[in-house]
Amino acid sequence: MSVVKKAFEGSGKKAQAAAQDSPAKADRLDPFRNKNEIKSKKQKRSQGSSHYRPKAPTELTPLPLLKDAASGDQLDLFVKKMQQCCVVFDFSDPVSDLKSKEVKRTCLNELVDFVTVTRGVLQDATYPEIVRMIACNIFRTLPLSDNVDFDPEEDDPTLEASWPHLQFVYEFFLRVLESPDFQPSVAKKYIDQRFVLQLLELFDSEDPRERDFLKTVLHRIYGKFLGLRAFIRKQINNIFLRFIYETEMFNGVGELLEILGSIINGFALPLKAEHKQFLVKVLMPLHKAKSLGMFHAQLAYCVVQFLEKDSSLTEQVVLGLLKFWPRTVSSKEIMFLGEIEEILDVIEPAQFEKIMRPLFKQIAKSVSSSHFQVAERSLFYWNNEYIMSLVEENNEVLMPILFPALYRISREHWNQTIVALVYNVLKGFMEMNTKLFDDLTNAYKAERQKERKRDKDRDDLLRKFDELAIK
Amino acid sequence: MTATDSANEALYPIAVLIDELRNEDVQLRLNSVKKLSTIALALGVERTRTELIPFLTDTIYDEDEVLLTLAEQLGTFIPLVGGDQFAHVLLPPLESLATVEETVVRDKAVESLRKLAASHSPADLEAHFVPLVRRLANGDWFTSRTSACGLFSVCYERVGAAVKQQLRQHFSNLCTDDTPMVRRAAAGKIGELAQVVEPEFVRSELLPMFKQLMADEQDSVRLLAVESAVILARLLGPEDTDKLMMKSLRSAVDDKSWRVRYMVADKLTELQSALGAELTQRYLVEAFQALLKDPEAEVRAVSASKVRDFCVNLEASEAERTNIALNSILPAVKDLAGDANQHVKSALASVVMGLSPLLGKEHTVEQLLPLFLTQLKDECPEVRLNIISNLEAVNSVIGIKQLSMSLLPAIVELAEDSKWRVRLAIIQYMPLLASQLGSQFFDEKLNQLCMGWLVDHVFAIREAAVLNLRKLVEAFGSDWALSTVIPKVAELAVDTNYLHRMVCLFCVTELNSACPPDMVRAHLLPIVLKMASDTVPNVRFKVAQTLQQLAASFDAEVFEQQVKPCLDSLAGDADIDVQFFACEALEAIREKF
Repeated sequence: MSVVKKAFEGSGKKAQAAAQDSPAKADRLDPFRNKNEIKSKKQKRSQGSSHYRPKAPTELTPLPLLKDAASGDQLDLFVKKMQQCCVVFDFSDPVSDLKSKEVKRTCLNELVDFVTVTRGVLQDATYPEIVRMIACNIFRTLPLSDNVDFDPEEDDPTLEASWPHLQFVYEFFLRVLESPDFQPSVAKKYIDQRFVLQLLELFDSEDPRERDFLKTVLHRIYGKFLGLRAFIRKQINNIFLRFIYETEMFNGVGELLEILGSIINGFALPLKAEHKQFLVKVLMPLHKAKSLGMFHAQLAYCVVQFLEKDSSLTEQVVLGLLKFWPRTVSSKEIMFLGEIEEILDVIEPAQFEKIMRPLFKQIAKSVSSSHFQVAERSLFYWNNEYIMSLVEENNEVLMPILFPALYRISREHWNQTIVALVYNVLKGFMEMNTKLFDDLTNAYKAERQKERKRDKDRDDLLRKFDELAIK
Repeated sequence: MTATDSANEALYPIAVLIDELRNEDVQLRLNSVKKLSTIALALGVERTRTELIPFLTDTIYDEDEVLLTLAEQLGTFIPLVGGDQFAHVLLPPLESLATVEETVVRDKAVESLRKLAASHSPADLEAHFVPLVRRLANGDWFTSRTSACGLFSVCYERVGAAVKQQLRQHFSNLCTDDTPMVRRAAAGKIGELAQVVEPEFVRSELLPMFKQLMADEQDSVRLLAVESAVILARLLGPEDTDKLMMKSLRSAVDDKSWRVRYMVADKLTELQSALGAELTQRYLVEAFQALLKDPEAEVRAVSASKVRDFCVNLEASEAERTNIALNSILPAVKDLAGDANQHVKSALASVVMGLSPLLGKEHTVEQLLPLFLTQLKDECPEVRLNIISNLEAVNSVIGIKQLSMSLLPAIVELAEDSKWRVRLAIIQYMPLLASQLGSQFFDEKLNQLCMGWLVDHVFAIREAAVLNLRKLVEAFGSDWALSTVIPKVAELAVDTNYLHRMVCLFCVTELNSACPPDMVRAHLLPIVLKMASDTVPNVRFKVAQTLQQLAASFDAEVFEQQVKPCLDSLAGDADIDVQFFACEALEAIREKF
């Protein structure tokens, strides 16, 4: 896959570079235009969907209004309108088929109102037509993002060009699913695994409006079709795994996690092995993603939900986080620190004792970070009463882990706010256990010397070793 | 000191290093793992087999970075465990590594396993390697099954018939795995496997698997199968391909996902050679037409880039080839020249000139020339640039004159493009254009541009302009240099901008190699010497450097009379850099005489 991805990226990039090239005479005077100016030019671009339409769409003629039809003919007309709406148009060309596009838009609008207010529309005979119309419109291979270096936090998303139609189709779909007449037992013949699979692929859409609709739609389907639940969970798994290990690109991770959050909430106890595996093998590795910032809140929510269900998972989760702990990206490290705090908020003291040693070794490192936001975020733990009570209970273990780092910072950190915060922490330690504090202070110098000696010994050894290797 | 003592002392660092493999600090563990081969060497083959490898197998739960290094190292370990007959002791740690989550580690482990397979004897393959493949193929988690896909082709050939049959069965299971990740891996490897499987089983077993993958519900699987299709078609030969595979291939051309169609277009010329002349004409020409008109710009772009290769590869008589190109391909190509998407046009522009040798003079003038002219006026600089950069192909058929009137405005516009990279690209084509257009045309139209670039505000452009100047002089001769270039250079020497004066010196350095020595002495040297009293130190030390470069063009007499006094005075300059370079130049020239 990676080769293909590259091929796509490569060509996309060229297209993009070419797109930027044309109209800029002005920058001859100042080649260093500011970033915003360049960006603003790219904004609000919308993109056509990749419906495969080998033939040009036929021209549409408006059908009579549903409310004007005799009640006996209404259903027939409804089906006809459904069929008419199956025709999809090319929105990348804003001037083509203007009349037909308007006919379809009006028709869709009418359909939305019709299913909302009219009872008895959802019948055995109309389900296949309804689902076919929805499938014709929403299922498509998503276009390549025209911005390869798309940064979801910085750049504006490319909006779906066919939204004027799509919006009504989604609206219609939702109304159908939420209709009191809706019978999953009949609809399941049409809304099947294949349908759901295609629906899930659409979560990659760059358009947040579409993803928002999809989220609600999928949630409704998950709620109403019990037979599809396991399948949906499994396919979400696959999407996440592809995202983590193959493509690193999927726009809808946050939305899917949001749905999962409420699914996890409903898990029965004791948790099935399948669900635990999902936590450890899918949710934890999701923390690796470069774009973590886009979905971290939802992810952390899911993780905490799991721990509230079953606290015995704490150790695996915390060790997992420590394994994927970011080494270079400080903004991600801040998110990790936030998630750890959320976990500590719900942790049981017995679980805390299991993980405190490795965890606080990491916290000692984060506190010592030269990035002051990272240091500050980890020092905020000391404002958390529950965490402090846990630390106090285990001060014999934790103080020796934290002390050297804190002591060093109090003398060496460049940022005065951090130094002040650390002073407070040290003061707290002193009050907690004066004797241990004094011992640690006295031992600090000796420890540092020992450490230095160890480092030197290691260097010597390596050198000796290299000599050996040369021989 | 006894022998054992010294042996122990030698092993002491090894013991520490092994200890370091368990250190808390990742970096230290990584350092140790990188030295694994030395550790093994020191331990000897016996202890490596019995102690080190089991130790590694047990301590495999580590950071991905450490695992990656480990996986890589183990692939080169055969000599360290005692040669080929012990290769199999390396399998257990690699088996665990092939099941980890992180893709890069897994891939590296598979790569190492593939290397090791070649060193196994057939008996060892059956006893050790195949069971490993079987275990991986039946693993619980998708990672091990994905890894397994890449291992079939390296062991299949050298095992017995019964084992072969098992292997085929396992692979077949992987093709229908319920996770798409595994099916993707299988789709990518089925072609490779087909190359080592007996032809009858390719037909009876692999082909059905392939068809299933080509009809997979996920486009990511289908598009990988397209890649393998090329290999399969090559193995089957045209006749069987037509009977057995053509339906799948044709459905891929018409796939509803553009990503699959993209893949077909991308592999089109390879498919073409695999299918042979007859099938190409029967199916692919039509398919190619469709792809050139695809609704998705990405597909059109990649198809456009294949236009030339596709036509060149048509295995037909010349008349027939021209006929296909003219009547089937060219109409679609003409549409693409006016495509709404710049990327499509640009892809076309980069290959379309290559059609003219195929079509011959008459058709080029009649059919292609209007196309080139349209593209030369395209609003997108990349399109114009691609046309200009491929002029050679057309030149050989109809000569460049036909184009020159349209070329000029295009060149002038590109030469003043606001993007310096575009300007840079056009400069690089100047020598070619110059040689094709002749000096008269050049003097009239392009000379001014070339001189203008010497004072561009981007250094890369000035630098390229200087090089360009040398190439032009090489093409047009020193008389031309004397009449056209040197006056301009002399002008730059007294420019008020010191950067421009620097350019003057760059020019002198470059021209030095293109002009005869007497001309250098008579015309270039005086310019340089005069600049020794420049107010800017950078210019002065550049003078010193330039004089050193010119040394080949003057003799001892000129040196003593003109150059040496100048360098001597520079050596006494107030600026330390000027002194340095002046002394350096003096020394270098003195060595020469």
